[in-house]
Amino acid sequence: MQKYFFLAGAMLFCCAAVHNAHAEARRVTLIYDEKATEVEAATMNAKDLWITKKDLAAATRFVVKPQGVCRDELCFPLPKARKAQFLNKQGKVEWFNLSEFARLIKQPTAFDDKHSIYYFGPRLDAQNAHLNSLEAPNFTLPDLNGKPHSLADFRGKKVLLITWASW
Amino acid sequence: MPGWQTLYAELKDKNFEIISVAQDTGGAKDAAPWITKANPQYTALIDETQIITRLYDMVNVPTAVWINEKGKIVRPNETAYVDNRYKVMHGLDATEYLNAIRDWASNGDKSAFVLSEDELKARLAPQQEDHAQASAEFALAEFLSHQGLAQDAIPHYKEAQRLNPDNWNYKRQAWALTNAEKDYGTNWGKEVQKLGTKPYYPPRKLKAEKH
Repeated sequence: MQKYFFLAGAMLFCCAAVHNAHAEARRVTLIYDEKATEVEAATMNAKDLWITKKDLAAATRFVVKPQGVCRDELCFPLPKARKAQFLNKQGKVEWFNLSEFARLIKQPTAFDDKHSIYYFGPRLDAQNAHLNSLEAPNFTLPDLNGKPHSLADFRGKKVLLITWASW
Repeated sequence: MPGWQTLYAELKDKNFEIISVAQDTGGAKDAAPWITKANPQYTALIDETQIITRLYDMVNVPTAVWINEKGKIVRPNETAYVDNRYKVMHGLDATEYLNAIRDWASNGDKSAFVLSEDELKARLAPQQEDHAQASAEFALAEFLSHQGLAQDAIPHYKEAQRLNPDNWNYKRQAWALTNAEKDYGTNWGKEVQKLGTKPYYPPRKLKAEKH
């Protein structure tokens, strides 16, 4: 019985917080795919980043569809029983919990409270994809003159990739 | 760098390229003087967010990866010194390594130093959640550093170092950005001493072990 009271309490707290979220929205920096975007975030829980579906699409290119949260060919279905942990509608605005989504798809995150910066790294599956394919992960980086070079440009040649540092 | 240029001049007509990438948060400011001085003919790139460290899960410099004509990894991360200046630290002979590269440049995938798929998969370890988390903390620290928030980056560098203590890039880069003694209570020399008999660089096996 006690357990149910606790659950009910947690749900009340959660929904009360969600209710206030819109009024207290604030600007935060979201770094996704190494790109920083300023987004509006609901302040219900500093650890979890709730953003609007509009910002979700703009910052991550993920779109909420009936079959799941999708980007290009990739779709991640949301667990039916836990939908409320991912989606929340306040009036006309629909919010999405990007942190909960990161936990679902095993994506590392880091958070800086002082500067309100949320960093989302690559999914563990994406990071480890080359271990099966043995395909060298591609990259594009500048030379001294700022001219970009991609590993893919070197296809057809043997490449010795060496890292060094000034430190 | 001059050593790599010599090797490149020798092998560039064998469909062989060198891409060297500086893992430097300071970007061109820190890396350019070295590149300008060496003035290499091969491709020298600057990686101020250390994306190569993350993509290839590297833990120190210098580290090299061999990539074949099809874009496949044929030798994963390994310590790659071009000369024996620091041999006392790593115990690896540069001549043997350079000869292995020469063999590969001439023989391609038929080289005895090109690893089999099984051997490659045995050597390539999947990144686990704690190391992925470390790389996220490091990336956030890098972002703060680039915003000029050097002091605010420190807790995130420390967290990256705690989560992946074997990654020397996370340590050496962070220590170089501010005052290591004051901000981290340590320095490179002290940390190398602490290793005791543990190797500073992972051991290198040039040829696959015969089973």
